[in-house]
Amino acid sequence: MNIILNNQSYEVPDGLTVLEAARRCGVYIPSLCYHPKTGPAGKCRACVVEIEGLRGLQTACTVRVRDGMKVFSNTERVLQAQRLVIDLLLSSGEHDCLSCEQNGVCELQQAAYFLGIERPTFRIERDRADDRSAEFIDRDPARCIACGRCVAGCNSTVVNEVLDFGFRAGETAVIVDDDLPMGASSCVQCGECVQLCPTGALTDKKARGLGRAWELEKVNTTCPYCGVGCQVTLHVDRARNRVVRVTGREVSPNQGMLCVKGRYAYEFPSSDKRLKYPMIKKDGQHVRVSWDEALDYTASRIKTIIDQHGPDTFSAFGSGRITNENNYAIQKFTRAVIGTNNVDHCART
Amino acid sequence: MLSETAILRIKDQIARYPHRESALMPALDTAQRENGNYLSREAIREVAGLVGVTFSKAYGVATYYSMYNTERVGRYHLCVDTNVPAYLAGAERILAHLCRTLKIRVGETTPDGLFTLSEVEDLGSCGTCPVIQVNDVYYEKMTVAKTDALIASLREGIMPPRKDGSHYGTACSILLKNRGRKNAHTLAVYKRTGGYKALAKALAMQPAELLDMVKHATVRGRGGAGFPAGMKWGFLPKNDPRPVYLICNADEGEPGTFKDRQIMQYDPHLLIEGMAIAAHTIGCRQAFIYIRGEFEWIARILEEAIGEAKTAGLLGQLDIIVHRGKGSYECGEETALIESLEGKRGCPRIKPPFPANVGLYGCPTIVNNVETLSVMPFVVAHGPEAFRAIGTVGNYGPKLFGVSGAVRKPGVYEFPLGTPLETVLAAAGGVVGQLKAVIVGGLSVPILTAEEARGLPLDYDACIKAGTMLGSGGIMVMNEKVSIPSIALRAIEFYAHESCGQCTPCREGSVVVKRLLQGLVAGRGSAADIDTVLSICDTVIGSTLCPTGDAWGMPIRAMVRKFRTEFESLIR
Repeated sequence: MNIILNNQSYEVPDGLTVLEAARRCGVYIPSLCYHPKTGPAGKCRACVVEIEGLRGLQTACTVRVRDGMKVFSNTERVLQAQRLVIDLLLSSGEHDCLSCEQNGVCELQQAAYFLGIERPTFRIERDRADDRSAEFIDRDPARCIACGRCVAGCNSTVVNEVLDFGFRAGETAVIVDDDLPMGASSCVQCGECVQLCPTGALTDKKARGLGRAWELEKVNTTCPYCGVGCQVTLHVDRARNRVVRVTGREVSPNQGMLCVKGRYAYEFPSSDKRLKYPMIKKDGQHVRVSWDEALDYTASRIKTIIDQHGPDTFSAFGSGRITNENNYAIQKFTRAVIGTNNVDHCART
Repeated sequence: MLSETAILRIKDQIARYPHRESALMPALDTAQRENGNYLSREAIREVAGLVGVTFSKAYGVATYYSMYNTERVGRYHLCVDTNVPAYLAGAERILAHLCRTLKIRVGETTPDGLFTLSEVEDLGSCGTCPVIQVNDVYYEKMTVAKTDALIASLREGIMPPRKDGSHYGTACSILLKNRGRKNAHTLAVYKRTGGYKALAKALAMQPAELLDMVKHATVRGRGGAGFPAGMKWGFLPKNDPRPVYLICNADEGEPGTFKDRQIMQYDPHLLIEGMAIAAHTIGCRQAFIYIRGEFEWIARILEEAIGEAKTAGLLGQLDIIVHRGKGSYECGEETALIESLEGKRGCPRIKPPFPANVGLYGCPTIVNNVETLSVMPFVVAHGPEAFRAIGTVGNYGPKLFGVSGAVRKPGVYEFPLGTPLETVLAAAGGVVGQLKAVIVGGLSVPILTAEEARGLPLDYDACIKAGTMLGSGGIMVMNEKVSIPSIALRAIEFYAHESCGQCTPCREGSVVVKRLLQGLVAGRGSAADIDTVLSICDTVIGSTLCPTGDAWGMPIRAMVRKFRTEFESLIR
């Protein structure tokens, strides 16, 4: 269908919201509470636009496009409303960009930049202490804009049901369980909330101070932990040859979601304790050997043991970190080659 | 640890609702009552477990509604309403007197644990303020002497009985027809005056016929918006398998408004009969009355009346649940009310979808105000033409006007829509002093100067023409002694306290305007501050998720624009 956005005509597919359509057309409309995964919330009011034929301002995230719809996101009335929203949000928190982890990828910063807001007009003082109690997630409520993406993600996407809104009016705040420090709560640290947060209110503790978003190379890959094959982006500091952060990619099969291991247990590639080649213990010492020697040695030892004590002395243990095909091969090898049913797997509980 | 009795009660509450989460608010209330009016974290967890919601959700609800005490309170929780109508009646003096007498500040508890003093928002007692709510009981028309007597009695451990009585008058004898009649709240008296005959007539009619009748009568919603009830009912989807719910909005939170309680307390069967007629028309078997929690005694009157009507077999298959709010103005907005009824925080939903299609539990739902539903027996009994014979063109029927502020006999007066303001004010005993300004539709509508208000016919269309709205018909009268900047400050304090907090312009904008007005009233403001207030109001109007942004943007802007010199005179 055809829409007219700021007097320019665009072809867009059916069924989109005005905001989604504008994004496809490359027209930036500030928006904070909307995320494709958590859906339209209509709360932050940053994406207000004028639509011909509709009274008052409309939120671009909630209105669906119609053929021939005329949308204006650049009138003075619209920009004034957007400026007030962003100004109020900047005024009500401590949005100091200098050492914020989100600098450069912060959606509030982006909106302020677009609208030309240098500094907040007002000063709304609130007493909000940082919460650094959790193992992997840092909470900085003074940077929270109450957009609700984390709450929606926690309750509707990963369904961990830990976060919610507490209190009211200007005191409205995201709470963890019944307003506990995150470290004392039932949160399993999946980090979905961090990934959804548009500002620096929720950040990855381990990545703090280890590199700006623009300094880190993004490497898309598959999570090595289990057979699900979650798609991840590694944020890599090339100079130090180090993974600094992991985020989930918003694609199948995980749609951005990761488990605590996939998101936060990423140090092993650069660990000096990592096993990089086969070794055999000789005279009480591990000695580096070739793959051929290692495999021959293993095969001969298995064969000897089975010959002497029977196949049931052998048992194979599969792993969730390898693929289904690998695990299939393990059980086939164990049953058909060795001749025992002693097969198990770390994920069998 | 909750007692066995409390647990059983909570289980009953859970069983009462179509969805168990709806029992969260009554269950939290049960837990609080059981524990000396205090809702501890442990109790909230226990309730969450019983109802089957997460700790965060239960805690979020407990901290949203102002009547849940998540901090300990004294044996007697004294709540003094200081909102605009109470302010006009001198509530500040009562509050200051209590501070002196009890030697505590607002928000504190006396060392002996006997009294906690709180300053609260409008208690729906505008015609009878100053009011002090002590636990569940309202003590109205308070003076310093009466306050002393109340405190002395409470120190003795005696809660004095609540005294009823406010001024009223009726020119229509429809909504207040039984007011003043002894025991009018009982079924026997109500039936003696012809009660439930309209329902019998309605039940013999086809729903479609009834709908046409209500549509033709053009009953405009009395809650504030003035949207025709028949048209609203007509929006319900046809041949839909989902159940239809009817909710009576008895939240009555708009400052200046105290009309619905007159019907519910003195003539509850009028409302119940109206609801039964509406339920038959829209095909509803489960209805709710969402009443503000402060009206606990009225909620009990309603429950008793519903019980009587049920026992007498008058309601057929219709069930009516009385659901208490717990201190949130926002829950007067229909989608926030629905959220609250579902056991959630009272945050309005995005429209569309409208409740007629996706409302309570995702089902078709009609939300009507008490007064709207209470005229239905008249419409059915006398026919739409009789209804249309009252009022002005397009603004038919009787309307309750709550008059507070600078009048000799503040109270509730029933007049046809379109009655001139002067007539209503005369019924209320006339203005004390010189009329300076008047707010005719509750605090959320633009103020009118005496000049603008002259000869104003009190109906929906005439008020819009005059640059304001009829709203709920809560008329607040201000004389020459009243400082408009003080009224503006008290008004924005209210909205900043009651904003649900989900959308930015309302949540943060109200706080900024409050600070600016505080500065101005304290003599710390500048001319630029006045312009900033106006500019924020201008921008907030029309840019919030629900009408609450307009509800403070419009009246504050009107006060500043129309009385700007008063604001400027505060600049040093």
